[in-house]
Amino acid sequence: MKLDTSGFETSMPTIGFGSSNDMLDGFSTVPSFDLPRTTDFDGFQKEAVQMVKPAKGTTTLAFIFKEGVMVAADSRASMGGYISSQSVKKIIEINPYMLGTMAGGAADCQFWHRNLGIKCRLHELANKRRISVSGASKLLANMLYSYRGMGLSVGTMIAGWDETGPGLYYVDNEGGRLKGDRFSVGSGSPYAYGVLDSGYKFDMTVEEASELARRSIYHATFRDGASGGVASVYHVGPNGWKKLSGDDVGELHYHYYPVPPAIAEQVMEEAAAE
Amino acid sequence: MSIFEYNGSAVVAMVGKNCFAIASDRRLGVQLQTIATDFKRISKIHDRLFIGLSGLATDVQTLYQRLVFRHKLYQLREERDMKPETFASLVSAILYEKRFGPYLCQPVIAGLGEDDKPFICTMDSIGAKELAKDFVVSGTASESLYGACEAMYKPDMEAEELFETISQALLSSVDRDCLSGWGGHVYVVTPNEIKERILKGRMD
Repeated sequence: MKLDTSGFETSMPTIGFGSSNDMLDGFSTVPSFDLPRTTDFDGFQKEAVQMVKPAKGTTTLAFIFKEGVMVAADSRASMGGYISSQSVKKIIEINPYMLGTMAGGAADCQFWHRNLGIKCRLHELANKRRISVSGASKLLANMLYSYRGMGLSVGTMIAGWDETGPGLYYVDNEGGRLKGDRFSVGSGSPYAYGVLDSGYKFDMTVEEASELARRSIYHATFRDGASGGVASVYHVGPNGWKKLSGDDVGELHYHYYPVPPAIAEQVMEEAAAE
Repeated sequence: MSIFEYNGSAVVAMVGKNCFAIASDRRLGVQLQTIATDFKRISKIHDRLFIGLSGLATDVQTLYQRLVFRHKLYQLREERDMKPETFASLVSAILYEKRFGPYLCQPVIAGLGEDDKPFICTMDSIGAKELAKDFVVSGTASESLYGACEAMYKPDMEAEELFETISQALLSSVDRDCLSGWGGHVYVVTPNEIKERILKGRMD
């Protein structure tokens, strides 16, 4: 039986000679991209990095608890101050038992998660068993490491359930990979951590954990300008992932805080007192 | 992000039939972080004259205090309230005094002039007046506001309809802006009364 060593191959993108030959199916080699033919390659790269940079405006979080992994995210895409969309899918379904979250460049995250899904399926076919979360996150981290410094913007969490139980890894575009049981990524993450850390217990039921995740995302969308839209919550259990809820954050506010805002007379009194 | 986008703001004023409406958002932020959701951007100068200031929050407050001072002096000397057109010229002059170190705000002035004729105008941060017959906008959400007002505005609206129109225009515009929103504050002014209302908006 031939071992699958595609993960070990060095993956420097080929320069200038065009893509690989037609005989290969294009999936077992690491994708190689044509490099631009410009006179100012460094400047071009720098501009590309800058273009993607402001885009980690988001809030995603994931944590491990007794019943599996809870994954949650908002759904806003912002370009500087402008909200370009309130309905972006930031939780990507890599395969029926693994989820990835999106923070950073949308195109980068979507492409590389799909690519990871392909690699995981190939692993399954070659080895007759599912890939572990540890292995999948390592594949992604290695791929991203080889593109280090080229302006990719990816801050993702890989969450899944394998033979060793629930697994959660944080992987980013620098090639970093961390194992942990609580992560939050994005501009709204400090606010989400505040709520998540104070409410977290390992022994929670699925309902308690999903409410904690939803609340954390809600509080992050309230405080952070670059997060908002819909708070989606997924649960990864022994039988795979399941979407639990997708609540509009605008309505969640009045659900959590039904008291009406400061009444007009109060505001006018404060104004007169100034 | 530029210094005008540091705190985030949205202000709009519209003209109706013998009435006007002026509205603003309520968020005070420090870049992306929201600090307060009850910040006052529109202030009354006298019963028939309001000014809404967008831009850097510290300049909003300081400029407002200066303008109230100047208006009170005027009241003492002239024993009457300032006309909106005169007040607009006053604001323009005060802003131009600081031509080479300006107040980083854009005012929106709305008032009822003689014969209860509504008057609105806006200015850039160094005092260039822009008079309009229908609506004026300013703030980080100004481009969205232009679009929404253009689509929703009709001339000669009564006070209730004007309130609906300006509220919808404000809320739909700030929902496309990360830096403004978190509620709305609307004043509808007719010759007989001032109606102040707070809008429930998306708090994200």
